Amino acid sequence: MESKNRGDLVINGLGSSNGGQFNLVSLNGRGTINNDIDCNVLDSNGTGFLKGNVKATKAKVNGTARFEGSIEAEKLQVEGTAKIEGNLFVKQLKVSGKTAVGGKVKSEEIRLRGIFSVGEDCEVERFKGKYRFTIGGLLNADQVDVEIYGDCRAKEIGGQTITVKQHTGSFIGTLFKPFYKTQLEVDLIEGDKIYLENTSAKVVRGNQVRIGANCQIGIVEYSEEFSQDKHAVIDDVRQV
Amino acid sequence: MSEELISKKDLLDMARISYGQLYRWKRKDLIPEEWFIRKSTFTGQETFFPKEKILERINKIQSMKENLSLDELADMFSPNLTDLQLSRVELIKRNIVSEQVMNMYIEQDQGSDLFTLSRILEVYVLEKLLQSGEINLDEGKMLLQVLKDQGAQIKQKNCELVITRKLGVSSCLVVINTEGLYFERGTKVVTTVSLMTCMEEIKSKLV
Repeated sequence: MESKNRGDLVINGLGSSNGGQFNLVSLNGRGTINNDIDCNVLDSNGTGFLKGNVKATKAKVNGTARFEGSIEAEKLQVEGTAKIEGNLFVKQLKVSGKTAVGGKVKSEEIRLRGIFSVGEDCEVERFKGKYRFTIGGLLNADQVDVEIYGDCRAKEIGGQTITVKQHTGSFIGTLFKPFYKTQLEVDLIEGDKIYLENTSAKVVRGNQVRIGANCQIGIVEYSEEFSQDKHAVIDDVRQV
Repeated sequence: MSEELISKKDLLDMARISYGQLYRWKRKDLIPEEWFIRKSTFTGQETFFPKEKILERINKIQSMKENLSLDELADMFSPNLTDLQLSRVELIKRNIVSEQVMNMYIEQDQGSDLFTLSRILEVYVLEKLLQSGEINLDEGKMLLQVLKDQGAQIKQKNCELVITRKLGVSSCLVVINTEGLYFERGTKVVTTVSLMTCMEEIKSKLV
């Protein structure tokens, strides 16, 4: 990318731009971009409205940003709230706060500390994190390693190693407990190595399956190993 | 064409692969989304695959993954035309096309000596069918014309080329994502060629 010849776009305070190609795009305050942008670094502080598609090497959202198109980036970091109405293709995604994607997500690594929701499928090599997530379609990941806290959902989860644990919570967390039921609700989980806590699933299939506390499973099908916590409810277990 | 289906469980068993591998290949688009067929069974939803296609694909992946990375494999299986160009001489040298067929193609095509992937596909299909003796020269010209006119359609989809003959008159058509094809009595289907398979064959020769 010959980004050296490109200019910067800086909006401080209130302003708008029609997009284009830039090296640095920095929105401080309330910035609106009405069309597609292609930039090296996107930095949105405050409130950003991006009405087109975004292509960036590095993108960072502090505060609130709303993207009406899709994002294609190497790195996206959200500290605050980001809403993406299109698709998100990013190598590394870090969410501290809240990120909602309307379309699908393709990534290599997702690190979550907060709330993450995806409308369609989410394909990622490593999905790690804490607290809450909602996936409208299939969560397809090589490694899923999550600590859940609150209400989580996915239609299906598939991959190699799938670990779902309950977040033990801080002192304040225990005070709020009655409001939220910490549970992952999912139709189908398939993986080679599965460990679940606080999960309600219709079908779980895997080679090594361990069902931990507070699980409600319809059918477990396993091929090598199976164990069950005494606080788990399983209707049917089959070795195949 | 109702195909025989295989359930995911049986597939994993038969091909000796794990869930992790299957999902990884799906992520890398080595297995097309359309092959994941959902059906409800008494245990809830299950996923099925077209048996022949998936087994063949898994075989290919397993035999090639030692030499190629998954990303390279993904490029190979994707029907998208990459921006590759080869010269006429190189195509002959790599045994993709014989010299006679190439001369015929150039005569018809009047194009340059540099071949993009879509032109390689055209000449490859021509070569394949002429060499097998299934079609004659005139039919070859007809075939080229169809492929050229429909080039835009062919680019991404699961396409098949069908050549039929009835009472000595031949015709040639391109079909996309077909469920079935039926002709009146007396029509002889000379050959059907899957363009996607051709593309894979070409790519495997190029690697």
